[in-house]
Amino acid sequence: MDAFLAGMAILLDPYMLGVILAGTLLGIIVGALPGISGSTTTALLLPLTVTMTPGAALAFLGSIYCAANFGGSITAILINTPGDPSASATAFDGYPMAKRGEAGKALGISAISSAIGGIFSVFVLIVAAPLLARMAYEFGPPEYFGLAVFGLSMVAMIGGESQVKNLMSACLGVLLATVGLDLTTGVERFTFGVYSLSDGIEFVPVLIGLFAIAEMLEQATQHGVVQDYIRLTAVKLPTLADFRKCAKSIAISSGIGTFIGALPALGATTAAMICYNESKRWSKYKDEFGKGAIEGVAGPEAANNAAVGGAMVPTLALGIPGSTTTAIILAGLIVQGVRPGPHLFTEQPALLYIVFSSMLAANLLYLVLGLGAAKLFARLTLVPAAYLWPAVFVLSMVGAYAPNQSMSDIWTVLIFGVVGFLFRRYGFSPAPLIMGLVLGKMVEESLKQSLLIFDQNWLMFLTRPIVVGLFAVTLIGLFAPFLARAWTRTRKRWRTSPAGDLP
Amino acid sequence: MTDRMTASRLTRRAFAAGSTAALGLALAPRARAQDKFPSRVVEVVTHAGVGGGTDITARMMMVHAAGVFQTEFAVVNKVGGSGAAALAYANSRPRDGYTILLITQTHLLTMLQGKAPVKYEEIVALARATDDPQVVMVGKNSPYKTAQDLLAAAKTKQLKFGATQLGGVDHLAIYGFAKKSGIQQPTAIPFRGGGDIVINTVGGNIDVGMLNYAEAESQIKAGDVRALLTLAPKRLGPLPDVPCSKDLGLDANYSTVRGFVALKGVPEENLKTLEQGLIKAMQGQMYASYIETSGQSPDSVVGRAAWQKQLDDFNAEGLDALKGLGLVK
Repeated sequence: MDAFLAGMAILLDPYMLGVILAGTLLGIIVGALPGISGSTTTALLLPLTVTMTPGAALAFLGSIYCAANFGGSITAILINTPGDPSASATAFDGYPMAKRGEAGKALGISAISSAIGGIFSVFVLIVAAPLLARMAYEFGPPEYFGLAVFGLSMVAMIGGESQVKNLMSACLGVLLATVGLDLTTGVERFTFGVYSLSDGIEFVPVLIGLFAIAEMLEQATQHGVVQDYIRLTAVKLPTLADFRKCAKSIAISSGIGTFIGALPALGATTAAMICYNESKRWSKYKDEFGKGAIEGVAGPEAANNAAVGGAMVPTLALGIPGSTTTAIILAGLIVQGVRPGPHLFTEQPALLYIVFSSMLAANLLYLVLGLGAAKLFARLTLVPAAYLWPAVFVLSMVGAYAPNQSMSDIWTVLIFGVVGFLFRRYGFSPAPLIMGLVLGKMVEESLKQSLLIFDQNWLMFLTRPIVVGLFAVTLIGLFAPFLARAWTRTRKRWRTSPAGDLP
Repeated sequence: MTDRMTASRLTRRAFAAGSTAALGLALAPRARAQDKFPSRVVEVVTHAGVGGGTDITARMMMVHAAGVFQTEFAVVNKVGGSGAAALAYANSRPRDGYTILLITQTHLLTMLQGKAPVKYEEIVALARATDDPQVVMVGKNSPYKTAQDLLAAAKTKQLKFGATQLGGVDHLAIYGFAKKSGIQQPTAIPFRGGGDIVINTVGGNIDVGMLNYAEAESQIKAGDVRALLTLAPKRLGPLPDVPCSKDLGLDANYSTVRGFVALKGVPEENLKTLEQGLIKAMQGQMYASYIETSGQSPDSVVGRAAWQKQLDDFNAEGLDALKGLGLVK
C-alpha cells in the first residue's frame, strides 16, 4: 500500500506532472502525423531520458506510448490516413462518419473508448501482471498459428461489397507478406535484388498509400461535385445514446485488446483488427459497418489502447517486450539500470506504481484534451478539398520518407495509392488486404516453426489444448452462418409446408 | 521520508546529472586548427532502424562523441539487405573518414554471400563497441542439469536449438558449437528475436536456447531458465558458477559483437583519430553504464588491432560454416 501511495504521489509533483503532460501532448501530435509513430518518437527521445530519473523516464515514455495510440485515430477519422498503424481499423468506419458530417462524434467516441480501453488495461497490468505474464510461456509457435488462422478466417466478414472480393483482397495481402527474407530458410523471396525489399514490404507506407493517396485520387475525380457537409453536426460530440450503443463493443475490445497486447509477438495493430471484426460480430447493426458505424470506431480504439497496458505486462514482468515501443521503453529502463523481470514486483514496487499512475494520468489527460479539441479538429473536415488534400499529400510523403530516409518507401506509397484507388473503383475493401499483410507472415512463420518443433508431424497440433480451442472457434465462426441459414430454412419449410408451397 | 521528498530528491539528482553532462561538453578540449579532422558532421551508418539494438549502441556512443571530437555525429539508418543497404550507402560516400559504419557479424555474412557491393577486404576496423558472449541455456523443466549432461545427450540425439534467422549469426554459432563439441548437428528453429527464444525455452518448445545473458537475465534470476555454458574463454561476471568453454576444454567461443569500421582508403591519421576518439567516447560514464546494464562483457571496447583480428577470425569461420550448411557454394 505504501508503494501504491508513493506511486500516486508523483501526480502531486509538478515536475512529474509536467513530464506526463509533455509526453501526452507529444504523443497525440506524433500519433496524428502519418509516418511518425510512437515507436519512432520514443526511440529518438531515448537518449534524452537517460538524464532523467528512472521514474520520470518511464512516465515520459509511457505517456507518449499511450497518447500516440489515441492520436493515430485523429487523422484516421478526419482524412482517412491512420497516423499510427494501430489506427488503420479506425479509418474503416471513422472516415465514413466524418464524411457524413459526424467527425466530432467519431473523434469523441475515439477519445472515450481509447481512454476506457487504456485505463482498463492499466488496471489489469497492475493487478494481474505476474499472472498474465506466465501465460506468455504457454504461447509458442503452434498457439500463434492457431490465433493467426482465427484472425484470417474472419476477413470474409469485414466490410466491402462481396465476400469473394474480400477473399481476393486478403490473398493479395498474404502474397505481399511473403516478400522478403524468409525466416525459416534464410532465402530472399520476390525481392528482385532490391535491398529495401529484403526485410519485407514496409507496413507504414502501404497504409499511407492505401488510405491517404487513394483518397486524394478519389477526391480528384469528384472535382466539381458539390460537397454538402452537414456543417452543424460536424462539431457535435457523441451523446449518451451513442455511448450506450458502443458499450458492448468497448467492453469486448478492452478485454481482447489487453490479452492480445500481452502476447509478446502481437501488438496494437493486430488487436485493433481482430476487435474490429469482433465488434461487428457482436453488433446488432452489422449492416452499418464499413459505412460509418460508431461501434466500428469504438472497438478498434478501445482495443489498441488496451493493447498498450497489455504490452507493458510481459515487458515489466518478464523483461520481454510486447511491441516495438515497449522494446524501446525496455531499452530505456535497462540504460537506467532497472532490469525488469519478476523480481521487479518485489524489489521495486514503487517504480511499478509510477508506471501505473503515469499511464493512468496520460489516459485521462488525452481524454480531456481529445474531447476538448475534438470540436476544433472536426472543423478540418470543412476545409475545402483543394486545400486539404495537397497538404495531406505533402505530409504523407514526408511521413513515409522520414523513418528510414529511403526513396523506396515513397515508391511504395505511390504504388499503393494507385492500388487503393483501383480497389475503390472496383468495389474492393483495403481492410482484408491489411489483415492479410499483418497476419500472413505470422501464419506462415508460425506454421513452419511449429512443424520444425513437431518434427513435421501435423497431428501434433491436436495435442495442444489452446490450439484445439482456437481451431474450434475458427470452425464455428466459419460454419455458423451456413448452419444458421440451414436452420432458418428448415424452420420456414416446416411452417410453410402445411399451407402448400409454390411450385 | 515522505514520498514527496523522494520525488524531489530524484528530480534534483536528474538535474545534477544533466548539468554534469553539459559541463563535460563545455570543458572538452577546443579544436586547435581549422583543417583538423573532423571539422564537420560525421555520419554513423547502421543497418538497424531507429530504436534497434545497433541503433541504440550508436546513439549511446554519440552521447560523449560530440564532446570528444568537438563535432556533431549523426546516425544514418540504412535498413535492408541484412546490412547490404548500409554497406552500399557507405560505399557511395567519399572515403575521408566522415562516414563510419557500426557493423555486426551479419554484415560479414552478407558480404560472404556476395550480396553487398563491398568486399570484406575493404573493411578497416576502428574500435569494437559491444561484445556479448553466447550462453547455452535450457528451461527449468529440462532434464539437462549441467553442460556435461547436455553434451552427452546431444551426442546420441538430435536436439532442437532456438536461433534468430537461419543462416544468421546465431545459426552459425550453433553449427560451430556442435562441430567443435562433437555433438549431432541440432535442428535450428528460427525465431524473430531473443525474447521469443527465451519464451520457447521456458515453455519447452525447444531443448536449448542460444542466448545472450541479458536476454534471459530475469528468467535466470527467477529460476525459469538454467544457464549451462558460456561460449567464451572466460566466465561471465554475473554467471560465476556457469562454466565457460575453456573450463570444458572446448575451443568454441561465440559472441554477438558490434563495432565501428571504415572503408579502405581513409587516410591513416584520420583512422587513428577516429579510433582514439571513439574509444574515449565509449569510456564516458553514460556508455560505460550502458555496457554494464545491458549485460555486455566489461572489456567490450577494444581498439583496431584486436577488433580487426576478431573480424578476420569470424570471416574465416563464417565462410566454412556457410559452406557446411550449404548456404554458399
